[in-house]
Amino acid sequence: MYILKNAYLAIIRNKGRNILIGIIIVIIACACSVTLAIRSSAKNLISSYEDKYDIQATLEVSRENLMKDFNPSSENKEQGRKNMVEQFNNIESLTIENIENYSNSDYLKGYYYTNSINVNSSTLTKATSEITNTEDNRKRPDNMQMPDNISQADFTLTGYSSYDAMNDFITGSYTVSEGSISNDFSANNCVINSELATLNNIKVGDTITMTNPDDESKTYNLVVTGIFTQNSTDIEDRMDMFSKSANTIITNANFINNIVKNDSSVNYNITPTFLIKDKDSIEKFEAELKEKGLSEYLALRTNLDEVEGATSSISNLSTFATTFLIVTFSIGAVILFVINMINVRERKYEIGVLRTIGMKKGALTIQFIIELLIITIIGLLIGSLIGALISVPTANMLLKNEIESSQANIQNVNKNFGGKMFDGNEQGRPDMQNRNGINGIVNVEQIDSIKAVVDYKVLLKLFGIGVLLTLISSIASMISIQRFSPLTILKERS
Amino acid sequence: MSILKLDKVCYRYADAASNDYVFKNISYEFELNKTYAIKGKSGSGKTTLLSLISGLEKCVEGNIYFEDKNLKDMDLDKYRSKNIGIVFQSFNLLTHLTALENVILSMDISKTYKKEKKEKAYELLESVGIDKEKANRRVLKLSGGEQQRVAIARSLSYNPKIILADEPTGNLDKETENDILNIFKKLAKEDNKCIIIVTHSDNVAKNVDNVFELTKKGQ
Repeated sequence: MYILKNAYLAIIRNKGRNILIGIIIVIIACACSVTLAIRSSAKNLISSYEDKYDIQATLEVSRENLMKDFNPSSENKEQGRKNMVEQFNNIESLTIENIENYSNSDYLKGYYYTNSINVNSSTLTKATSEITNTEDNRKRPDNMQMPDNISQADFTLTGYSSYDAMNDFITGSYTVSEGSISNDFSANNCVINSELATLNNIKVGDTITMTNPDDESKTYNLVVTGIFTQNSTDIEDRMDMFSKSANTIITNANFINNIVKNDSSVNYNITPTFLIKDKDSIEKFEAELKEKGLSEYLALRTNLDEVEGATSSISNLSTFATTFLIVTFSIGAVILFVINMINVRERKYEIGVLRTIGMKKGALTIQFIIELLIITIIGLLIGSLIGALISVPTANMLLKNEIESSQANIQNVNKNFGGKMFDGNEQGRPDMQNRNGINGIVNVEQIDSIKAVVDYKVLLKLFGIGVLLTLISSIASMISIQRFSPLTILKERS
Repeated sequence: MSILKLDKVCYRYADAASNDYVFKNISYEFELNKTYAIKGKSGSGKTTLLSLISGLEKCVEGNIYFEDKNLKDMDLDKYRSKNIGIVFQSFNLLTHLTALENVILSMDISKTYKKEKKEKAYELLESVGIDKEKANRRVLKLSGGEQQRVAIARSLSYNPKIILADEPTGNLDKETENDILNIFKKLAKEDNKCIIIVTHSDNVAKNVDNVFELTKKGQ
């Protein structure tokens, strides 16, 4: 206890010296605080980006596996090719049960899917440059020919399991120009292409009737809640009269699931998108899929490269901040070490007296460390306060572009969906309840929260740095106290 | 019965030749209730002998016994903080502290008193002629004589059996010297202490019970 009291008296009775040490610690703390805050902001940004750019994975044909047994120089080359095609044709189509089974995984944070069936209509005219031509596969290359077991039809009914699945609307390829996409993902609503709407004089609120291509007595009624425009064109349809999506009727996945459930003869395609928890879960999820019986000719394809590419600049900022922190810390440690060494030399007499009257070396060392620790803590508090004031505008300046682009992005996506995206209604997103934002879009509030950059974590780190600096710079006093002979000191003084 | 015994004590500096002793084969016994003066010319090793007795230095050959215990076997920090009070010519007080704080710090280090330290410290200071008002001053704001009184009070703060004083009156005028000597004599006679004073002063030598004279290179 007396050590603490003596340390306190030594601090307050030697103000000049201790204020000098304090100022240096304030400067170091300030620099460390700003750096830690920038690191923290960068980390938050990366985490925000990771939410923004989900690691998405889908299933695709593994051409590598299909071709692994094919030898082009073999005499049985033709047979090999046939075998390969046969293997391809034997790949079982994915079903909703498969997708639900695969998505029941600890490595996923969500999933969504798109399904589609072919339909006809006795009341609608197909959008094609040759009105009489009902075969729309004239330009398809050989490998794009419709399989034999899928009926030829005029329209495609495409269902999405949630807003997240509607990538064309999110990216702006499609924009709702009239009405909106219903947020009721279980109703018989749909949106249709503006070209089809014009051709058939369909308005928002009208009901259209589609039929099963194999059995026209089976009809499906859909209420048009919106009309969309395709903004981008593919290489394939640039010179066509109608866009590729002209005959696509967009509805929800539940509507199609109900059709398939009631009529097992309907052929349908289903394309899942799995949202993987993190980078480390990719391989584990892939292994789990194999265990669950995924065909060896189907493989998982992720967007990891794009996600990592999006965060690389922020990662660089974080690395720069870390380097700056190390440099600041090292310089700070050296300066404090030197000052402490000078300080100890200046206080040799005091050390000599205390040792002469019986104070142990250990107790004396602890007193010197406590003195420096008290000054360091006060310096850290002042430094982190100043650092907080500086780091907030610094970090926000770095974030400014991010916030603006995020806000613009949200406004654009909202517009693409016909203004119904962010009305607080979470219906139709059963698999995405716990996620913020929609497939690539993060709420503005989330980005804003990064403003609070000097938080308790930063303060804890600063405290750790302070204690470390104190211990490093106290080495000088520890060594000196061990080496000083009290008698020599007092003789020198005399 | 002796409280302190020097038995063939020899000392030479660490960097000196093996036969270049400051002093050699010193044997002497000190008793309680008595005052001693160690006299000798400059360089005779008076202060060095005091350092050996206080445990600040170790003798090269021979032994020093405190209450029949060899200093070589003792915790010297504890020995200094409990059994030996040291008073220097240059006072060696902590200048950033008040007179009172200097005395209390010494009590804290020796852990002699746990309660009423402040009252005890005032009492000690009062006994050497430092009143409460002066006790609360920083030591640099006291005169040389007053500082030496504070140093004596500090050395008494843990009630040691031996007081070592190295030229305690060297910086003081004649009148103050006598005052300090009277304090030492009173401590020896009334408080049963052993007072050992290193001095050049004949006046001091005349006022002590025994004089121990060191000659160059020997006893």
